[in-house]
Amino acid sequence: MIGCAFDAQNLISISLRKIQSSRTQRGGIKLHKNLLVTYVLRNARQFYLNKNASQAQRSPPYEDEVAVREKQDYLELTGSFTELADDFYCNFTGAEADSWHCGAHQPHGQLTEMPHQDASSCALVSPNDSDLMLSEACWSCADKSWELPVPNTQANQKTVLDLDTHVVTTVTNGYFHSDCCAQPKQPQGAQCHRKRKMDTSYFIVDPEFYLPDFVPVPFKRMRSDDDSHSDSEQLDNTNISNLISVLGSGGLSEFVSWQQTDLEQIFGTQTICLKHTLFTGSGWTRAIEAF
Amino acid sequence: MAAPGGDMQWCFSQVKGAIDDDVAEADIISTVEFNHTGELLATGDKGGRVVIFQQEIENKSLPQFRSEYNVYSTFQSHEPEFDYLKSLEIEEKINKIRWLPQKNAAQFLLSTNDKTIKLWKISERDKRPDGYNLKEDDGRCKDPNSITSLRVPVLIPMDLMVEASPRRVFANAHTYHINSVSVNSDHETYLSADDLRINLWHLEITDRSFNIVDIKPANMEELTEVITAAEFHPHQCNTFVYSSSKGIIRLCDMRESALCDRHTKLFEEPEDPSNRSFFSEIISSISDVKFSHSGRYMMTRDYLSVKIWDLNMENRPVETYQVHEYLRSKLCSLYENDCIFDKFECCWNGNDSVVMTGSYNNFFRMFDRSQRRDVMLEASRENSKPMQVLKPRKVCAGGKRKKDEISVDSLDFNKKILHTAWHPQDNIIAVATTNNLYIFQDKIN
Repeated sequence: MIGCAFDAQNLISISLRKIQSSRTQRGGIKLHKNLLVTYVLRNARQFYLNKNASQAQRSPPYEDEVAVREKQDYLELTGSFTELADDFYCNFTGAEADSWHCGAHQPHGQLTEMPHQDASSCALVSPNDSDLMLSEACWSCADKSWELPVPNTQANQKTVLDLDTHVVTTVTNGYFHSDCCAQPKQPQGAQCHRKRKMDTSYFIVDPEFYLPDFVPVPFKRMRSDDDSHSDSEQLDNTNISNLISVLGSGGLSEFVSWQQTDLEQIFGTQTICLKHTLFTGSGWTRAIEAF
Repeated sequence: MAAPGGDMQWCFSQVKGAIDDDVAEADIISTVEFNHTGELLATGDKGGRVVIFQQEIENKSLPQFRSEYNVYSTFQSHEPEFDYLKSLEIEEKINKIRWLPQKNAAQFLLSTNDKTIKLWKISERDKRPDGYNLKEDDGRCKDPNSITSLRVPVLIPMDLMVEASPRRVFANAHTYHINSVSVNSDHETYLSADDLRINLWHLEITDRSFNIVDIKPANMEELTEVITAAEFHPHQCNTFVYSSSKGIIRLCDMRESALCDRHTKLFEEPEDPSNRSFFSEIISSISDVKFSHSGRYMMTRDYLSVKIWDLNMENRPVETYQVHEYLRSKLCSLYENDCIFDKFECCWNGNDSVVMTGSYNNFFRMFDRSQRRDVMLEASRENSKPMQVLKPRKVCAGGKRKKDEISVDSLDFNKKILHTAWHPQDNIIAVATTNNLYIFQDKIN
């Protein structure tokens, strides 16, 4: 049997890859499978957050971590399929982060940090699985080699899978660091203070997104072939414009349509704090935002 | 150990399909179904084909060989299609086959892929007309001036020909992938279910259907569960159930309201918090739901277990059978290789005393409800001698492996039995491996 990926971050990486590969599978995106994958993502993320929260309590404070911790209560990930269209991420070269360890949260509150915790046996901190809209403490980056100043504003952090390098990174919203990226940059107008809701349906492309077939009404409805034909003509203009902004002219076969260029590779292991920005032209990579 | 069902022992009867280890994807069996008498056995595959086997008349001179199943008809049910508007390819894979009760000489079945359901008529032709006045035997028209006398055409015997013809096509009603079809006990209507909706059809009407369940949220970001299976009650034409990815089964009564979004009963077992893991939601997702023939019970299959529910008790199942508990510690690997998303089916025997479901390594399990016994058997070419009795198999989860046990790490997860079927009246089972169909029967003592 294939060796098991033990830590939550690997699970996140695997899950994001599954979502990405589902877009190219025959028969279209499998809604059921993608929904289940998002549950794994959410569980892994919860575990990861709680692990980092416990680490932050025990680790010596760092400048960026202090700033981030101050924002813990504020951070709320919000977003939508539409907003995703406005976010572009770039991978930067950067110093190696310390190795990431998976810490298992023990039910009695004692934290035990051990490398390569078996993910399947990790007890989740929170058994509450009914609420997918979470406002959580932000993630903290354990890399003390980073000295990038964090703006004195709300910080958003997201997990991003680079589709070309398959590296999972934690992206911190903020201003652009010119040393990190060789590509021309352009500050994103709305990126600094964005609130994003934990959106597990980020990657679920609703086939009816642009082709609503009928309005949900609380009575038994007859659908005829005529209805389906007329529905196809009643396109949702808002959804179409959103779709186009996301997909460009590439069609629905890609979750997001991106220009591909040579990429900046990230050194080191998987958890690195980054700055992200939006810029036009070449020099940005494809990415899927997890949460 | 005797197999469930008293002193019954399961023997190999037949295997259908190619022997090659190199399996073509189109040949992968995707559904298996006996008809109501058990005389016909239909399989669907990923290539969109339906193969129907017919049980031959019992050979009375050789009573130890119960009648065999031979190919009766083969036809291409669905073709791959392309939705140009959505830039999506629609697979031709047959997701489900359901037989209609027989009303006349012909047989009817419903077959469905992800988007379209078709009603097929399978009929026999063993006579042909002969002696037309205006046509030659090869069909060419005769010169009327050459006809000097008239004769009455007669029907003469011919070699049996089985024809399959599409009688109805039920299309354009499902945006999401169809996972179930179920024929109502009224023999006039049937339901089809996709991830978010269930539609009710009349078998004679193809241009309209009624939506009876719609769980699509107004905002797709709030989606938390999908429909995984649905089935009509075997006797109550107003009742159906549908299962969800959250491990919940909802029973609905169509008499209560036109739109059955509100359930009549909800069956759910509280989760054991000690078993909580990253994959709890995945393994609790129900892959199949089947009513018992009596209609009093229903069975659900999730990733690790089979549960029997009494329709009169909603808060927990009356019986739970662990199919392959030894996989619980392997969920991480199974998630990596996608096996955790496999959808196993389950089935009842004719008198609801035994249930059967598949597993990995071409193993399948039977649970005898009355005798509280279970057995694991294997469908393999190595055990394919005629009437060879199947030996029970055991999996060693850890520790010292006994003789004849197989270690859980040695299981072949590419060999999986997802589809099984039990003859409605007899102890004959059909078990589908990747591209082979095994038929086993009990040994006649």
